[in-house]
Amino acid sequence: MVTQRQPRRDDLLTSFEVASQPGNERVVLARVADAVAAFGLDGRQTRRLETAVAEAAMNAIEHGNREAATVPVEVEVFRSDGGVVVAITDQGGGGPSPADLPEPDLDLKLAGEQTPRGWGLFLIRHMVDSLWVTDHGPRHTVWLEMEVSPTSGAEGP
Amino acid sequence: MIKPFAVSGHREAGSLVLHLVGDVDANAFDPLLGAYAKGTVGTSADEVVLDFTRVGYINSSGIAMIVSLLGRARADHRRVAAYGLSDHYRQIFEITRLSDFIDIRERPEEAAAEPRPRPS
Repeated sequence: MVTQRQPRRDDLLTSFEVASQPGNERVVLARVADAVAAFGLDGRQTRRLETAVAEAAMNAIEHGNREAATVPVEVEVFRSDGGVVVAITDQGGGGPSPADLPEPDLDLKLAGEQTPRGWGLFLIRHMVDSLWVTDHGPRHTVWLEMEVSPTSGAEGP
Repeated sequence: MIKPFAVSGHREAGSLVLHLVGDVDANAFDPLLGAYAKGTVGTSADEVVLDFTRVGYINSSGIAMIVSLLGRARADHRRVAAYGLSDHYRQIFEITRLSDFIDIRERPEEAAAEPRPRPS
């Protein structure tokens, strides 16, 4: 997990909110996929970004906003120098850092020494090119960046 | 967009084949573990085969559910295999190391190149 500069507001492609209800991570996934469709990610990168976005949104709904439907999850999508950046914000700031969470270990899980759950952040880390987190008071934002592959061809508008 | 999970099973030559349909997420836990329990009652099946052909979405809760099923099968000394995974989810099975314990196959009828021993 690295610290990155924040994208410029001029580079905002879209922003929206969803209610913190289970299942709405699929709404976030679909809307982000639409927003980045013209930016040259290849199919493999798009699937990876979709998985990362869905997991980050699910974490925001379940853990950040504790499924309080009246507390929205905020989503912003930016173009960046080399690709796209997605920011997912909840109101669960001030909790433990994701870096402090134990890495899932399948051997331990199969031995019953670790819960079968706990794969969300692991998946996010492995799906995107960069991941960083910012906290401002209660606002907790997960930033996901996917760089456009040199072989992807298409340029963003 | 959201496709509800369903599962059906049949026995075939020493295997229990479970056909998964829809989204593999937290809602899949009870149906899948239930289908495993029902399908293995009174059988000597030494292998469970998961058919992902009609699955388009697996999230982290679904991965946790597959870990639970794998743990249950191993405790019952049964091997686990899978087929029908897309390239994306095949990669996720690799990075989570599920593919170290689940025999990933291209086709349903494909036998393991080197059959793994039953979990002891």
